[in-house]
Amino acid sequence: MKQDQSKKSDNIQQAKTSVSPVREDSKVAYKKRIGVYVCHCGGNISDYVDVEKVRQVVENEEGVFLAKTTMFACADSNQKEMVEDIVTQKLDGVVVASCSPKLHLLTFRAVTERAGLNKYNYVHANIREQVSWAHSDNKQGATEKAIRIVRSAIAKVRRSQALEPIKVEAVRTVAVIGAGVAGMKAAVKLAKSGVLVYLIEREFFVGGRVAQWDNLCISDETGKELITRLYDDILSHKNITLFTGAEVVEKSGSIGNFSLKVKITPRYIRMQCNKGELQKAIDVCPVEVPDKFNFNITKRKAIYHNYPGEYPQLPAIDIENCTRCGECEKVCSSIDFNQKPEYLDIRAGSILLATGFDPYEPKKGEFGYGEIDNVVTLPQFKRIVHYCNGDKLQFKGRNIHNIAYIYCVGSRQVNGENKYCSRYCCTSNIYTAIDAKKRFKDINNFHFNRGIRTYGKQEILYDESSRLGDIYLQSFEDNPPEVKVVDGKTVVSINDILTQDKKLEVEADLVVLVTGMVPRKDNSIGNLLKVPRGRDKFFNEIHMKLRPVETVIDGITIAGAGQGPKNIVESMTSALAAATKSFTIVASGELALEPTIAKVSKDDCEWCGKCDDACPYDAFTPKEIDGKTVAVVNKSVCKGCGMCLPVCPSNAIQLTGLSDDEVESMIDALMEN
Amino acid sequence: MARINPGFTKALKRFGAFDVNACYNCGNCTAVCSLSDENNSFPRKMVRLSVLGLEGELKNSLEPWLCYYCGECSTTCPRQAEPGELMMSLRRWLTAQYDWTGLSGLFYRSLTAVITAFILLATGVLWFASAQNFNPDRLLHTGHYFEMLAIAGVFVFILLPNIIRMWMLTVYSRHEKIPVKKYFKTFGELFVHMFTQKRTLGCDKSKTRWTEHLILVFSYLSLLFTTVFLDWFGTNSKSIIALGYIESAAIFIVTILFIVARMKKSTEVSKHSHPSDWMFVVWLSLLGATAFVVRLFIDLDMLENNIWIYIVHLIILVQWALIIVPFGKWTHFLYRSFAMWFLKVAE
Ligand SMILES: Cc1cc2nc3c(=O)[nH]c(=O)nc-3n(C[C@H](O)[C@H](O)[C@H](O)COP(=O)(O)OP(=O)(O)OC[C@H]3O[C@@H](n4cnc5c(N)ncnc54)[C@H](O)[C@@H]3O)c2cc1C
Ligand code: SF4
Ligand code: SF4
Repeated sequence: MKQDQSKKSDNIQQAKTSVSPVREDSKVAYKKRIGVYVCHCGGNISDYVDVEKVRQVVENEEGVFLAKTTMFACADSNQKEMVEDIVTQKLDGVVVASCSPKLHLLTFRAVTERAGLNKYNYVHANIREQVSWAHSDNKQGATEKAIRIVRSAIAKVRRSQALEPIKVEAVRTVAVIGAGVAGMKAAVKLAKSGVLVYLIEREFFVGGRVAQWDNLCISDETGKELITRLYDDILSHKNITLFTGAEVVEKSGSIGNFSLKVKITPRYIRMQCNKGELQKAIDVCPVEVPDKFNFNITKRKAIYHNYPGEYPQLPAIDIENCTRCGECEKVCSSIDFNQKPEYLDIRAGSILLATGFDPYEPKKGEFGYGEIDNVVTLPQFKRIVHYCNGDKLQFKGRNIHNIAYIYCVGSRQVNGENKYCSRYCCTSNIYTAIDAKKRFKDINNFHFNRGIRTYGKQEILYDESSRLGDIYLQSFEDNPPEVKVVDGKTVVSINDILTQDKKLEVEADLVVLVTGMVPRKDNSIGNLLKVPRGRDKFFNEIHMKLRPVETVIDGITIAGAGQGPKNIVESMTSALAAATKSFTIVASGELALEPTIAKVSKDDCEWCGKCDDACPYDAFTPKEIDGKTVAVVNKSVCKGCGMCLPVCPSNAIQLTGLSDDEVESMIDALMEN
Repeated sequence: MARINPGFTKALKRFGAFDVNACYNCGNCTAVCSLSDENNSFPRKMVRLSVLGLEGELKNSLEPWLCYYCGECSTTCPRQAEPGELMMSLRRWLTAQYDWTGLSGLFYRSLTAVITAFILLATGVLWFASAQNFNPDRLLHTGHYFEMLAIAGVFVFILLPNIIRMWMLTVYSRHEKIPVKKYFKTFGELFVHMFTQKRTLGCDKSKTRWTEHLILVFSYLSLLFTTVFLDWFGTNSKSIIALGYIESAAIFIVTILFIVARMKKSTEVSKHSHPSDWMFVVWLSLLGATAFVVRLFIDLDMLENNIWIYIVHLIILVQWALIIVPFGKWTHFLYRSFAMWFLKVAE
């Protein structure tokens, strides 16, 4: 320890004194005046690499005007010194040999910019992660390797060119797909910020899942109340155009300028309608189908509302189930079977994807689902509780007293694919169980769980429910509860780990499977927009912590439960984040993109399509230029990943900033003895 | 396989008030309990069985008797589920389960029933006294015989059958045949615990409660002996008379300390008082006080003219012997000692 410190102070001495004298002769001989800074990293590098030797060697490289060592290249004082050097010594190429570019590439690019030098004239050499840390056992070898790496950076900076960002026009419009709470909130936020919004909803009514829940935790308003408030906000904004029954069927273009084709399915009902007549039309419709809105526990007609007073307040005809019997037309003048699907072309600078989730649908026989008639899912249970009036909870005409809830159904699966926790379900289920217990007589709640996760403030619900006498029984994932019919009674049993694995059972009048969230079964929109999905099959962000609402497809942001299980609070937060992100893309009407992208030489290109196959971002299109088909790069899509370069048979593609010439010179410098 | 009965905690509330459903099974109470061990884990396990309403399991458990209510668990419980008070309530509930007459349960659940029984007994004594023309000699004489008879009767007809029932539930039904020899070998446990309550030492930080209990037990049992077998109220022996004074005074003083603690709610154990707890300390205190005064009146030759004081003493004695001893908190002292013995037997 002591030894180390004395060595460090030695190094500091050295650092102070080792500014190289300027060599008059080298100034004239070369085009570039290059400055090289070799960093000690406070010993992290200099304990293993002889930085002074590195400096001495590279000082003599062609074009190097000054070479210095420094204790901490990233320190404020050194940054200031660099700026001063660049300005006073008129440097036009800079190399810092220090840590990984992941840490400080941007820092030193900024330094050069502050000094008025184009940031692409800066080249970073990594002699810490790649040298001192990797070869701490061989100081001489490490020093040699560092010299080669710095030389290759110098070779690159000799050929570097000033580059300007690529400017593209951005349409000041955002297309928000999905009008659940997340999409609606994002639309309102964007409209308030002053951009135009297309809000595209596939169903005939807005609100998404939340419309289905009525009483909600954790603040006590109903889903309908929330949606009414959001819908009122939407109506009050002329910036928002809402489409219902609408689906995006084609997409082209890229960030700043997407083109979407939207198919609008008609309601077959005229906008100016007579409310009384419409009710009659619903009454006379002879077709009855299971009501998806109520998770099939009730039926609805082919002409339908989701619930009285939903938005927009105009029923629709479900044409797939309509038999065209014409009964409704007889009693209602607003029915119009001549309406045709419409196709609209819209343009948007950014797309905000908020298409939500599906509740997990248990397999037939999973905890008796689909086989035992009093086994239902949590979404169904919420509808049952909602529709029961009076002080008796009833299902299929029977009174319900004992309710067994089985948690984590479709989530945290040991054998299945859904490894994740669905987050909302513990809380929502306990909330609903309390609701039922308070509203109806003689309810006993039995929670068969795998550890309750009512995180954050929601814990108070768990507390309340246990104080109300709810009983919690727990098992591990490998020993789940069992649901069986014994003498005509549904019995749920468990080896309760809280009671020394004792086998306990409950005779249940109703079994509620606390089902989790899964991605929308229909991923057509995801496929169309090429938004990648994570291991959980929900839409994937670039970086969970640092870029939580952006996708790798530039210009497309994600929000709400389509990105992964979220409650309303979390959906709203992500909606606001995504709206802000989409806003920054379109706000100024112009986008500045990285210039380090692929460039095709039209003389050499013989359009074979191999680059198109290799490109993960679909940046290539064939185009006729001067009577010849060549590949053209979409500048706003290309990310400069370089996948196309090695596959081009005629070597017609160059990567700006990493041209063959630059890379080859770097390799040569590395090999040089 | 056991069926859960969520209604049980409601029924149990009548044996003491607490919010045991709040328990989230953290196990802090068991961790902090100095009397709980691997083989006999409590109170969480008891809390759990109560929440689930597994009455059969509870009836078979000896654990409630192993707790001396230091209250550490209740202080530690993050949910204010009062595990200590639960253990106390379970002891009351168990007493009711052991009692074949069913009166224990009735008296624990209903204060009205207790008061009615007390009034009936008081009226009976008054009626008897008037039938004897309030003759002091005759009354003292019958009082003495009543004591002997009550002790024998209560033991033979109530306590003994109840202890046998306790044994059936906790030992016989739960364990393979246990050799008789083992009962003899471990018999000492019964007396050690009955007279010393030495387990409390493992639980309380201070020895005060244990000392108070020890004084109380010895004073009570020896006063019983002094009055019944040495005929304290009838004797002329100076030493016996002095002994009786000391014993009755000790009972009075210690019980007054208990009463004050319950009123101040100063410790966990005195925080929650069920009517049966009040009755126990107050009646014991009155018993000591009236016995003292009766003997004092005899020594001062004042009893002839103040026979009412003896009648008051007799009423308290009768209520004590016929209600509190066989059906009330007094039995805890007995069951607890037997539980320790049974535990050793079943080991
Ligand atoms: C049983 C249950 C109870 C719940 N209870 C609560 C609660 O009490 N409190 C709480 O905070 N949270 C609760 N939640 C969670 C809540 O439902 C979600 O947080 C919320 O619905 C997420 O909103 P969203 O807008 O992201 O998605 P969604 O509500 O799913 O909305 C997505 C919208 O996008 C539309 N859409 C889908 N695909 C397309 C497409 N291709 N084109 C156009 N539109 C499309 C859908 O029609 C829908 O309108 C509960 C969830 C469940 C399952
Ligand atoms: S929130 Fe609860 S029920 Fe839902 S998956 Fe997570 S642990 Fe299971
Ligand atoms: S400390 Fe309280 S909450 Fe924890 S197990 Fe004991 S009684 Fe339950």
